[in-house]
Amino acid sequence: MSIGIRAAIGLNRVAGKVIYNRLRLVSFISPIILLLVWAWVTHLQLISPQLLASPLQILDSFQELVASGDLQEHLLKSLSRLVFGYSIGAFAGLLFGILMALSKNVEDYFHPLFQAVRQVPIIALIPIFILLLGIDEIFKIAIVINAAFLAVALASYEATKGVPKPYFEVAQAYQLPTLTVYRKLVIPAILPPVLTGLRIAFARSWTILVASELLVADSGIGQMMQMGRDMFRLDIVLVGVVLTGAIGFTIDRLFKWGEANLIPWRVA
Amino acid sequence: MSSSNTVLDFRKSAITRGNVFEGNSVPELHAKPVALKIESVAKSYALSGSELKVLEAINLDVQSGEFISIVGASGCGKSTLLRLIAGLDIGYEGAIVYQGKRIEGTDLSRGIVFQEHRLFPWLTVEANILLAFASTNVPKAERKERVKAQIELVGLTGFEHAYPHQISGGMSQRVAIARALVLRPQLLLLDEPFAALDALTRLKLQQELERLWEHEGLTTILVTHDVEEAVFLGDRVVVMQSHPGRIKRIVPVRLARPRIRSNPDFQCIKEDLLTDFV
Repeated sequence: MSIGIRAAIGLNRVAGKVIYNRLRLVSFISPIILLLVWAWVTHLQLISPQLLASPLQILDSFQELVASGDLQEHLLKSLSRLVFGYSIGAFAGLLFGILMALSKNVEDYFHPLFQAVRQVPIIALIPIFILLLGIDEIFKIAIVINAAFLAVALASYEATKGVPKPYFEVAQAYQLPTLTVYRKLVIPAILPPVLTGLRIAFARSWTILVASELLVADSGIGQMMQMGRDMFRLDIVLVGVVLTGAIGFTIDRLFKWGEANLIPWRVA
Repeated sequence: MSSSNTVLDFRKSAITRGNVFEGNSVPELHAKPVALKIESVAKSYALSGSELKVLEAINLDVQSGEFISIVGASGCGKSTLLRLIAGLDIGYEGAIVYQGKRIEGTDLSRGIVFQEHRLFPWLTVEANILLAFASTNVPKAERKERVKAQIELVGLTGFEHAYPHQISGGMSQRVAIARALVLRPQLLLLDEPFAALDALTRLKLQQELERLWEHEGLTTILVTHDVEEAVFLGDRVVVMQSHPGRIKRIVPVRLARPRIRSNPDFQCIKEDLLTDFV
């Protein structure tokens, strides 16, 4: 879609060809410049080295953390919380969103409450979650479930509401069985927006998980960063920052790849 | 001139309603059974408190195998009438009797083609047509066979695995027609099926539709705002009037098929019909 808009406003044309939205060599220019500026700033010691370590020092710290096995342990902990919580939240959100769009009753009962709850920043719910669930594993997972659920429920609700009415008339004219209506109409129709919703929900889940680990945890990538801060090892904090970004980016790319491959009918 | 009782009945009711109905335009009919009987059908919508009549006192008998064209300006209720016949909308007064029963819902023996093709974008041409069989008990192998034959009949062999966005609007509409015909309906309903197509494609599809109609011996009701299309295809042309939507008159087209548009008789009927609109 964005390609169409770019073509329409005359952007992104090189010798008459439209450039597609893929990761290309030029995409690496801005991160490399950022790294160079970072290295240069640390080299000149514009900021105290104790506050901002150089990229090479970060790499050293990273290797150190890998060698000790600490990093893997933290990562595994965080990712398992993420996968567990996200799966439950996204799946429940998907069902709830579709149901709320299809059933007038469910919509009447839950839609206003849902719209109100989703306006509350998840970070504001953390104290309540801690009071209710304590600071154990269940708390972090509940935070992720909540984030994934709300984002996916909203996406699938809006998507299902947006299925063009004329298609349902076709289903009516051919008396399609209920199961066929779901399999051949509702699910394929909502797939593109729902996949986007799943992707956005993932980003929210990942950031809120790291944030809650920063606040209360005994393990995980967020806790590793918190520990680094407490020990004034800001290099460890920066390892966490870079890793959090890299993991989020990688999984986002995986989602996009999935979107492109699951939707062969999309007009490219 | 031979005329069945149903036509005389209709004529009487038309006269009592004071509608223009030329005495010499009673259609010539053989003793064919009535496929569809529309009796004093009326429909109204509630529009911001007041009642808006969209259809009033519609009476029409459609003979088996007949091709009926319904023409009228936008908003005359012709599409609404077709939706009632299809059973997509069941809130109406009066009776639309089909196969001895009042229409209370959709039926696989009544096929419908809409103005937009309404193919599912995520299904290929073949899968879109196959979907029509979903609630039938036709065996898998036979479904495949019939879809293949139907695709061939509408001239789309080779495009079985194309997605709707990969083919033209005219081709998509052919697929939609194939989807409606593959169940071998007894009554085919067409709601301005060619209105969104370019003029050349429209002419071609009109010819194809006539060929399919003769091939399948289908009773067909075509709703259109194109008077020439109505005359080219219809055995009778039903002219509708707006506010409220009602039948103004019914004009028989007694010309040999395929009809020649430049034929003076064809032009004569067309000009006559156009006087209703300009």
